[in-house]
Amino acid sequence: MDDDVSPLVEMTSISKSYGGVQACRDIDFTVRAGEVHALLGENGAGKSTLMKVLSGEVVDHQGEIFIEGARIRFNRPIDAQRAGIAMIHQELDLVPALSIAENIFLGKELKTRAGTVDKRRMIRQTGELLERTGVALDPRRLVEELRTGEQQLVTIAKALSLDARVLIMDEPTSALSSHEVEQLFEVISELRASGVGMVYISHRMEEIGRVADRATVLRNGSVVAEFDARELTAAQASEAMVGRPVQTLFHTSTAATGDEVLVVNDLHVHPKHPSPGRRDPNGITLSVRAGEIVGLAGLLGAGRTELLETLYGIGSPGSWSGEVSLRGKRIRPRGARRALRMGMAFVPEDRRIAGLALEHSVLANTVLSIVDRLAVAGAVPRGRERDAAQRSVEELGVKLGSINDPVGSLSGGNQQKVVLGRGMLTDPVLLLLDEPTRGVDVGAKAEIYRLLGEAAKRGVGVLFASSELAELVGVCDRVIVLRDGRSVRELNTSEVGEADLLAASMGEGMVVDALANGEANGGEVA
Amino acid sequence: MSSDKGDVTTTDSAEEPDEVQAATPVKGGGGGRKNVVATLFRFQSLFGLALVFIAGVIFSPNVNGELIFLGVNNLFDIVRSVSEIGILAVGMTLVILIGGIDLSVGSMLGFSSVVVAVLLVNENWGVGPAVVVVLILGLAFGALQGALVASFGIQAFIVTLAGMQVARGLARITSGGQGVQISYGNDDPSKAPEVFSLIGERTFNGVVPISTLIFAAVAALAIMALRVTSFSRHVYAIGGNEKAARLSGVPVMRVKIIVFAICGLCAALAGIVHAGYLNFGGPNDGTMFELKAIAAVVIGGTSLMGGRGTVLGTVAGALLVGMLENILGLNNIKSDWQSIIIGLVIVLAAGLQRIRPASVSS
Ligand SMILES: Nc1ncnc2c1ncn2[C@@H]1O[C@H](COP(=O)(O)OP(=O)(O)OP(=O)(O)O)[C@@H](O)[C@H]1O
Ligand SMILES: [Mg+2]
Repeated sequence: MDDDVSPLVEMTSISKSYGGVQACRDIDFTVRAGEVHALLGENGAGKSTLMKVLSGEVVDHQGEIFIEGARIRFNRPIDAQRAGIAMIHQELDLVPALSIAENIFLGKELKTRAGTVDKRRMIRQTGELLERTGVALDPRRLVEELRTGEQQLVTIAKALSLDARVLIMDEPTSALSSHEVEQLFEVISELRASGVGMVYISHRMEEIGRVADRATVLRNGSVVAEFDARELTAAQASEAMVGRPVQTLFHTSTAATGDEVLVVNDLHVHPKHPSPGRRDPNGITLSVRAGEIVGLAGLLGAGRTELLETLYGIGSPGSWSGEVSLRGKRIRPRGARRALRMGMAFVPEDRRIAGLALEHSVLANTVLSIVDRLAVAGAVPRGRERDAAQRSVEELGVKLGSINDPVGSLSGGNQQKVVLGRGMLTDPVLLLLDEPTRGVDVGAKAEIYRLLGEAAKRGVGVLFASSELAELVGVCDRVIVLRDGRSVRELNTSEVGEADLLAASMGEGMVVDALANGEANGGEVA
Repeated sequence: MSSDKGDVTTTDSAEEPDEVQAATPVKGGGGGRKNVVATLFRFQSLFGLALVFIAGVIFSPNVNGELIFLGVNNLFDIVRSVSEIGILAVGMTLVILIGGIDLSVGSMLGFSSVVVAVLLVNENWGVGPAVVVVLILGLAFGALQGALVASFGIQAFIVTLAGMQVARGLARITSGGQGVQISYGNDDPSKAPEVFSLIGERTFNGVVPISTLIFAAVAALAIMALRVTSFSRHVYAIGGNEKAARLSGVPVMRVKIIVFAICGLCAALAGIVHAGYLNFGGPNDGTMFELKAIAAVVIGGTSLMGGRGTVLGTVAGALLVGMLENILGLNNIKSDWQSIIIGLVIVLAAGLQRIRPASVSS
């Protein structure tokens, strides 16, 4: 890099605190044109806060921002947008009741000559943007109907629509499976070639070396390292971030000889009101033994979430065929409350929509599922409630000031741990997890894997849906691959690797490619 | 939900001591100021009440060197005047906490006052059975509305707008369109038993109104219940995030029905108090009371979005309005101006809610 050209973005001595929590402390940060600058750090390290300073959302900060050498002060997000800065938010910020196209053009609707909203042009351009991100979604569909990963792609498309010079990506891939991630990486290389400066935040360590040119590590709001990130391995990235080597792969011993906790046999759901976006179970066969962690793999839209929801009694209403048994008893759960009573616990995919009351305290959110059980004659003893929450928070290593803080003030990963903690507190026999490590840092992921391992040791059966292949291979005893709502394969993780999983998820056409690379194996499920 | 203050629990799994530091709110300095702000916002209606009280003292007319506003009788007149609205507002607080609204309570008050009067005077019922039947009617009416809201997903606004019309109609039918005068006499079958007149009286040397005591009891019960019961956790959870609450095993439908039932019960009780105080069952009474109750709740700091608020705040809100009306009345300010001023107070209270920092949990 030649030093006489000022960088695209230069942030100097940025500090910001929330009440007593110092989120950013005297940070210097630059983004050059045509580079991808990775921002690493544990949950709550201050990555999102720093980027919100740059995108004009946090304005009461210290320190200065220069764009191409010119000092600038943002008072609102729109100021930053005008300066060419776009941000893909970690927490999906779409309007659920509007269509994809309306969301993308929100506040900058295209007009016809007559001055009315030009729907047709908006829909066409939205289609083109979505194509770049690699999904074929109808731009007229409502955002609330979309699955989390699809919403994430819409958010990405929305940021791309701004044609920004600086693109901030705050965990853009947390809900994406490998196929969509590849697509995003292609878009990133195109943008890099056209001179866009990018910031990339992710807790998927293997992505860093592939996509980033440079990396900066934050810890507790301060910069602790900055280095060249090309060809960085996942292990190196994790170590740089945590400050010591992290064991990310936990193969729970396959001592899973317990009884079958869950048996699903050729389950089909025929929804009463079929909807285009949903992929209800359409031929699922699987089993989970006590003490076993079974993964659910598949591409976006393979039906992992729908399967977990169906098992938890909150799937599409309609008729069933096939059978589900829990601990040998045939069940047909209707509603979460009954499923919980039967001994299931569910961690939903989107914590902000389905997981947490953000304004309420960590305490209230953590114990919500067990307040009935804690209550004596209808009254919840303060001490017991507090102890339970405290225990959960400590076990999971939730980073917070006090359990009375609103859960919305925690960093994303820590919010996720609160949801997981609530499920664990119910003492389930079967844990249904939908992307439980989404947005969780490597250290905390390792913690969660350890917790799952411990739960399994106590005899809990775990069904674990994830789009991160490394995680499935590393944590699960077996992985069931879903495609179009069907279980198509079962792979034993002690024998196969990520490549096999990917191939199996993609389906026939792709398997050929993978075979050509001499990587695929694993048996077809009958 | 309230939290014990000054109790900063530090939790951090990290081994490095510097991490603990970052996650722990800094005590003193900024933290202290934050706490003051948080306290001000959390108890905004109590502070508002104190301000209005001070204003009452300042602007009080003065007779023979005595401030009329501070006279014992005047102060108890204030708490007497807010009793019915206060009881309604307690039930309304619950409904608003789950993100609903109940527009039927004013009509329900009128209906209940009519029914109790008719039962006592025309039907010669005893006080006990009459009161119980009216309370059950209120409970059932509320539960029905709750069931419509919870199981068919019709908006509470619409359901209770309909309920408001229905209850008003029932009140007129029951009374034949005429108010029912309640006169007392234990031996005369066409008169009500004298115990019922107690509601309108004052105890402790004729100072403390019985109806106020009823309001106080209802409020105290509700405050306690919202502090300690698992039911209250469910109520707040539904208001905070209904979907999350459902997935966490909260019986959303049941809680909603119970909450509306309690609100109906409060409306029936308010109707009984109203009848006892006026010795009259008025089919047109209670008009607009639902809005006054909502105003008390909003001034009390409860969010109309649900999930955040307290009954204590609502009590303060009701008292604040009553006190304001009293002060304006003592100063001979016409009721037109009273309602304008109260309108401004509502906007002010709602405005304060908007700027309330997110970190202030309820
Ligand atoms: N709105 C807020 N109010 C109070 N505290 C906040 C707020 N936003 C962030 N914080 C605190 O600031 C710190 C930094 O949070 P930030 O969201 O920037 O972390 P992050 O590095 O993006 O973490 P993650 O990887 O979990 O997304 C955390 O301690 C968090 O609790
Ligand atoms: Mg973040």
